[in-house]
Amino acid sequence: MMSAREQAPAGMSKLAVRGLTHRYVMGSPPEKLTVLSNIDLDVARGQFVCIIGESGCGKSTLLRMMAGLLLPTEGQVLHDGTKVAGVRHELGFVFQQDAVFPWLTVEKNVAYGPRSRGVPKAQRERLVATWCEAVGLTAFRKAYPKQLSGGMRKRVDLARAYANSPDILLMDEPFAALDVQTKAEMQDAVLELWRSTGKTVVFVTHDLDEAVFLSDVVVVLSSRPGRVHAIVPSTLARPRTAETRVSDAFAAAKRTLWTTLQEARGRHAGPGQSEAVERVIKANTAHI
Amino acid sequence: MRTSGRAAWLARICTPAVLVGTLSLAAVVAIYWYMASRPGTNPALVPTPPTIIKALREEIASGDLLVNTVASLKRVVIGFCIGASLALVLGALAGWFRYAGYVLNPIIDALRPIPALAYIPLVIVWIGIGEPSRIIIIVLAVFKPCVVNARAGMKEVAQIYVDAARTLGASRWRVFMTVALPSAVPYFIAGLRTGVSTGFLALVAAELIAAPSGLGFMIQNAGQYFRTDITIVGIVVIGLLGALLDQIASRTGRALTAWSEVRREP
Repeated sequence: MMSAREQAPAGMSKLAVRGLTHRYVMGSPPEKLTVLSNIDLDVARGQFVCIIGESGCGKSTLLRMMAGLLLPTEGQVLHDGTKVAGVRHELGFVFQQDAVFPWLTVEKNVAYGPRSRGVPKAQRERLVATWCEAVGLTAFRKAYPKQLSGGMRKRVDLARAYANSPDILLMDEPFAALDVQTKAEMQDAVLELWRSTGKTVVFVTHDLDEAVFLSDVVVVLSSRPGRVHAIVPSTLARPRTAETRVSDAFAAAKRTLWTTLQEARGRHAGPGQSEAVERVIKANTAHI
Repeated sequence: MRTSGRAAWLARICTPAVLVGTLSLAAVVAIYWYMASRPGTNPALVPTPPTIIKALREEIASGDLLVNTVASLKRVVIGFCIGASLALVLGALAGWFRYAGYVLNPIIDALRPIPALAYIPLVIVWIGIGEPSRIIIIVLAVFKPCVVNARAGMKEVAQIYVDAARTLGASRWRVFMTVALPSAVPYFIAGLRTGVSTGFLALVAAELIAAPSGLGFMIQNAGQYFRTDITIVGIVVIGLLGALLDQIASRTGRALTAWSEVRREP
């Protein structure tokens, strides 16, 4: 995994999005709906990038395109300078829904990626031991997912993604379904994984607190079609701890982000922007 | 120790469902008994329970019951194994791979509305009256529910698991083998359970027509000699055997889907 990083030429983005536009054809008569319009983005090696935007701004679609799960109508995604034309194991993905295979034990879930790539058994076992340990699931290696809580399943999901030696981790609102306390624990866990591996993370969320707490850089998308409205670098020091969450700097950073998100809404919102947007705004104003 | 263990066992067995259920069955037997022993009823045609039990003893003692049960069981097991494995393979392929579906779906859907028993005359004309014909009827009867369920199960595989496997580097074949098949297992089991009962149904029908042995033969033969007591013994054994096979299928199914969160009623 180190070698891949060393091979990347200096100055080149780890992940680059160039002129990406995407249209869905839907309804009858078929109508083209532009969900993403002319997106340009650069993610540097080792960066923790959050993408935020209102519901329906296409942030999940963008992330799926970065993973090669979807192909854009126009433009391209470049990973280390090569075009992403389909899924590849270097681009790990953590889904919002529970994607842990319920018919496999924790350790078999974690071993799934390496096994798919033909990693020899001894090495596979080392990977499983390492990553179960890293997410604190060593005691539950033989358990089935139904025996675990939602937070623990997310840990399995993270371990499974990391055990597959990805180069970049793409996370699509992975903690959206968790309660506040578990969510905070998972955010700490993901930051620890990021710190110890140094691997690039692109993290989609609609939660401003989450974006502020985790990121080096926040990409703010506007809605329908999704465009890059602003790129906001973080002002918070690392490491981020429980104190960070209640600090003035955190509140200030959140306020800035909030204002930017509102601008994004004002500038591009069409007539009758949905209640979904209103909901996001209400949910987020409550804390400021 | 032993007494308290037995008391606990009794308490566990004697639930309201079991007690009332037993009474309900006993009531049916009692009503039958009452009807059979009324004056004017021919005891040779409507035997009382003691006569039936006597017939059961005779059948066991002579070895006929065992021979016939084994013959039937052998047919149903062979037919089930062939029918179910064909159905699972073809159903899984048809439900998962687009072109396999194009090829197989019309055949499956054409077979679907036809009862397996409707093939009996054709099978007899083409293959004759023999062991292969009986097994073919059972294979057809087992195949239909299994293939329909297997195909449906593959259509219901959650996309999220497929996407997860693909991002982890799994090939299309590996996704089929390690994601689609296991997540469709509950459907396979449902199909197999239906297959067991339809197969059993077809078995008796196939044996009624022309067979030198088997439970279907036994009840048919006894009926021709007005031995209704033996016929009733045969019917009860068929019922018990069917329930036993269904239990085996359902227990195997539950063991295979122990990972599943959905609680499936037996």
